[in-house]
Amino acid sequence: MNDHVIQVENLVKYYDGRCVLDGIDFAVPRGCIYGLLGRNGAGKTTIIRILLGLEPPTRGRTTLLEADSASLPAKTRGRIGCVAEGHNLIQSYKVSRLIKLCKDLSPQWNDELFNHLIETFRLPADRRVRELSIGMRAQLNLSLAMAIDPELLVLDDPTLGLDTVARRQFLELAIDIIQQQGRTILFCSHILSDVERIADRIGILAAGKLVVDCPLEQLKERVRKLRVIFPDAAPANLYLTEIVNQQIQGREMVVTVANWNKQKQAILETFKPSSCTEIPMSLEDIFIECTRPIAEPLEIA
Amino acid sequence: MFALIKREIQDHLVYFIAAPVLSALLIIVTVEAVFSYDSRNPPVVAIGLGVALGAIVTFGICGMGAGQMYLDKTRRISAFLTMLPVSRNKILLARIAAGILAILILLVPLAVAAAFLVRISTPPIPLYSGMVLDISTTTFLLALACYCIGLQTGWNPSVLTPSLGSLGLTCIFVLLVVIKGFGPEINVILVLFIAASLYRTLHNFSFTSL
Repeated sequence: MNDHVIQVENLVKYYDGRCVLDGIDFAVPRGCIYGLLGRNGAGKTTIIRILLGLEPPTRGRTTLLEADSASLPAKTRGRIGCVAEGHNLIQSYKVSRLIKLCKDLSPQWNDELFNHLIETFRLPADRRVRELSIGMRAQLNLSLAMAIDPELLVLDDPTLGLDTVARRQFLELAIDIIQQQGRTILFCSHILSDVERIADRIGILAAGKLVVDCPLEQLKERVRKLRVIFPDAAPANLYLTEIVNQQIQGREMVVTVANWNKQKQAILETFKPSSCTEIPMSLEDIFIECTRPIAEPLEIA
Repeated sequence: MFALIKREIQDHLVYFIAAPVLSALLIIVTVEAVFSYDSRNPPVVAIGLGVALGAIVTFGICGMGAGQMYLDKTRRISAFLTMLPVSRNKILLARIAAGILAILILLVPLAVAAAFLVRISTPPIPLYSGMVLDISTTTFLLALACYCIGLQTGWNPSVLTPSLGSLGLTCIFVLLVVIKGFGPEINVILVLFIAASLYRTLHNFSFTSL
């Protein structure tokens, strides 16, 4: 039995002749919380839409829970919970009607959990979905996604448009649920602190390619930002591979290098720098470095 | 499946209310035409009303198919439903089942009334055995063909050209029935059109972005 809940193989997508995804490969193991990051228009939502069978790929293959995304059987769909960007609920329905519809269509509906969530969020059942605030819609969407006891939870920018308190509340609840049930989660967000808080593996999309795909701790360990001061003018080229970013100002060079190791350190030391200090990097710093337009394509894996 | 059909009916309740109302009106007009028929002085008003109601029914059925698909597209209903344990095929099948149900609500009382009228009154024109069945079958197939035209029109990205096209196609089918009359030949043409149209709708619905 394959232990990968999500598999993406050589995924290519073109929109009107423009390449949005260019040969994406990644796999998400069971129980993993995978944070998929990228700038606006990087293709995160497109990957999720293809995975969920809402969009046909131009080339490549994607599977969810060992079923082909393009033809996901209803039974497999019943094992996947999804909170989509913008919360695509049926806006004209009353909350109670939407809940009833989801309940009728889901054989594995967990009434106890759903009622608990509805009470926690204090969602009004008699109002139409379009009359709810964005925060309430996000909470309703999460409640509906969780009520089917999903093995896989796909969260596409679920906290978009939420205020700080609602975002925190949403995340706390999501973390609670994740920890209790040990589900696999694919999580897309622009708010990197959220991803850093819950993800244990990270994928970064830039210019249609997956430039990073590794565990979060490994990513932090392997991408190094160094401030190097040389006795004379800083050399124009350090002859290091996988330089993510490099800035020179007189004797000082600030360089970000991927897959930092002893060999690279030895090469740097041949330039006899006066000092070399590491600048601590958060996930946000790494993300910014990796998605800069000038960055050379990297494969941190 | 029943939940999906129920959803379709609730979302398009106006058609399910209009169907028995139109059916009742058509029965009244038919009864009036039959009982007041006089070859020297035909009931022009009743016949005119019947033709007008027939046109409303034909374009109404076409509009129902278009409305179901158009609302789905604009409100992204299928995009939401496919997040639940439901396949696209099931969504479309439920939609078509609801459409057929509306057509039956409209036509079955008419067919029953026609059969009853043939029994109790002397028809103004000579009838052959099974004529009511022939008329009912062709009318049902014509209604279904119009509904299928609507389904395709509603899922189209543009609005004006497909709408005009569907209006034209509906008129062609009605004229075809008027010219060829009711019977197996026209039924075969209609069945072939319905099969091709449903296949195309299913293909478009299954493979486009939601």
